[in-house]
Amino acid sequence: MSQDDLINYLVIPVVKIAVVLGVVSGLVAYLTLLERKVLGFMQLRLAPRRVGPSGLLQPIADGIKLLIKEDPTPDGADRALFVLAPVMSIIPAFAALAVLPFAATPFEIFGYEFTPFITDVNIGVLYILSITSLGVYGIILGGWASNSKYSLLGSLRSAAQMVSYEVPLGLSIIGVLMLAGTASMVGIVEAQRQAAWWFFVPQVIGLFCYFVSAVAETNRLPFDLPEAEAELVAGYQTEYAGMKFAFYMMAEYVNMIVVASLATTLWLGGWLRPFPNVEALEFLNFLNWAHPALSGIFWFALKVFLILYIYIWLRGTFPRYRYDQLMRLGWKWLLPLSLANILVTGLVLVLWK
Amino acid sequence: MSRALRIIKRFIPYEMIQGMMITLKNQWRPHITLEYPKETPELHPRFRGVPRLRRDPDNGEELCVGCLLCEQICPDNCISLVVDKRPSGKGKYPKSFIIDYERCCFCGLCVDPCPTKPITAIYMSHDYELSDYSRVEFITGKERLYEGHPLKKYEK
Repeated sequence: MSQDDLINYLVIPVVKIAVVLGVVSGLVAYLTLLERKVLGFMQLRLAPRRVGPSGLLQPIADGIKLLIKEDPTPDGADRALFVLAPVMSIIPAFAALAVLPFAATPFEIFGYEFTPFITDVNIGVLYILSITSLGVYGIILGGWASNSKYSLLGSLRSAAQMVSYEVPLGLSIIGVLMLAGTASMVGIVEAQRQAAWWFFVPQVIGLFCYFVSAVAETNRLPFDLPEAEAELVAGYQTEYAGMKFAFYMMAEYVNMIVVASLATTLWLGGWLRPFPNVEALEFLNFLNWAHPALSGIFWFALKVFLILYIYIWLRGTFPRYRYDQLMRLGWKWLLPLSLANILVTGLVLVLWK
Repeated sequence: MSRALRIIKRFIPYEMIQGMMITLKNQWRPHITLEYPKETPELHPRFRGVPRLRRDPDNGEELCVGCLLCEQICPDNCISLVVDKRPSGKGKYPKSFIIDYERCCFCGLCVDPCPTKPITAIYMSHDYELSDYSRVEFITGKERLYEGHPLKKYEK
C-alpha cells in the first residue's frame, strides 16, 4: 500500500469526518440558542442575554452545566442499557451526516482532493432513511431501561409515532427519486441542475408530506408527544440527567439538521443557487472568487437555516396535537396524499416521455 | 366567487397560515420584559408601597400630631405609637412611631383618617424594594420612616 493510498483512503476521510462532526456539534449548540432567541421574540420576551454579549455564550454555559451535573441511575434500572440508550440515539443521528452533499467542487489541499462531502454512495437516500430510523431503538431502550412507568409509556408512544411517520416520510421521497432517476445525493442535485428547476416545483405535495412527517419523526412540536413536558413528565427522558440527557437533546437537534439537509438536497436544489441555469444570475455565487465550493456551502447552509427556522416558527405557533389526531393525520392524510403523489408523478412521467 | 374561495380555503391550511403570520409579526414587536434590577418600572402616582411618615415641607417640623387614628384603624395592628407633648409650641407629637412592615398589608387605611392639613403625615410611599437579612429589620422606627429603608444599588 503506497503512501498516497494511505492518505486517500484513511487520512482524508478522517479529516473530513472530524471537520463535519465538529462543525455540526457547534451548530447544534447554537441551534438551541437560536431556538430560544426566536421563541423569546415571538412571545415578546427577551431571550437569554446574561451570559456573554447578548447571550452568545449561553450554549457553552449550558454544556458546562450538563457536564458537571450529578448523573444518578434510578434504582432497579438496567445499568448497561441505561448508559447505552442515549449513545444508540446519538450515533445514528451523526452517522446520517456521512452522505450529505454540502457542495460539489472538490478542494485541492497539498495536491490531494478533498470533496466537500464525506462520501457519495449510490443509495444515499436509502442510507439516510435506514440509519435515522435506527434512532427509535435509543428511545425505546431508554424508556425500558429506566425502570419507570412514565419513561416506558412515553417511549411506547414515541415508538408508535416514529414508526407510523416513517411510512409517509419514505413514500414522499419516492416522487423525487422517480424524477431524478438516482438515489445518490450528489446525483439528485445534479439532476436538479439538468432539469433547470428545483424539484419542489413539481413535487410540492411531496415536500409538504415530507416536512410534516419529518417534524413528527424528529419529535418536535407540534408533534412532540414523546416528550410532552406539560402532560407527560418528559416521556422517555424522565430519568435521564447530565450528559446522558444532553446526548438525547443533541440527537434531537442533529436529527433536525439531518432532516433539513435532506429536504434541501432533495427538493431545494442542494448547493445550487436559485435558477441554476440562468447565466445572468451567476453573481449570486459571489463566493466563487475564493472557491466554488464555498458558494455551494453558502447556499446549502442558507436553505438549511431557513428550514430550521420554519421548525422553530412552527414550535412557536401551534399547540401540541392529541395522540389520536396525530395518528389520524399520519395514516389518513399523509399516507394517501404521498401515495397519490407517487401515482400522479408516475403517470406524468409515463405520458410525457 | 365566495364559494370558490371557500373551496380553496378548504384545501390550503388557511387558519394555520394566519396563525403563523401572527407569530411572525410578533417577532418584530418590541419586548415587554423589564430587566428589573437594571430597569425599574414606572409607578403610578397612587401606587401603594410601604407607609412612611413625612415632615412639613415648609418648616421641616413633624406633621404627625399623635392622634392615634392610624393605630386604631390598622387591620393588622402593625402601627404602635407613644405620644408626648411637643417640646416647642402646643399640641402633641409621636415620641416613638413604629410600623412593623412584616405585618403591614399595604391597605392604605392608615392614610385615610390622618387629620393633618394640607398633606397627611403618614402616606403610602413608592418604596417596594424591601429585603433584609433578619426579621427585626422590618420593625421600622421613626428614623427609617422618615428616611426610608436603606437600599443597596444594583451594580454590574
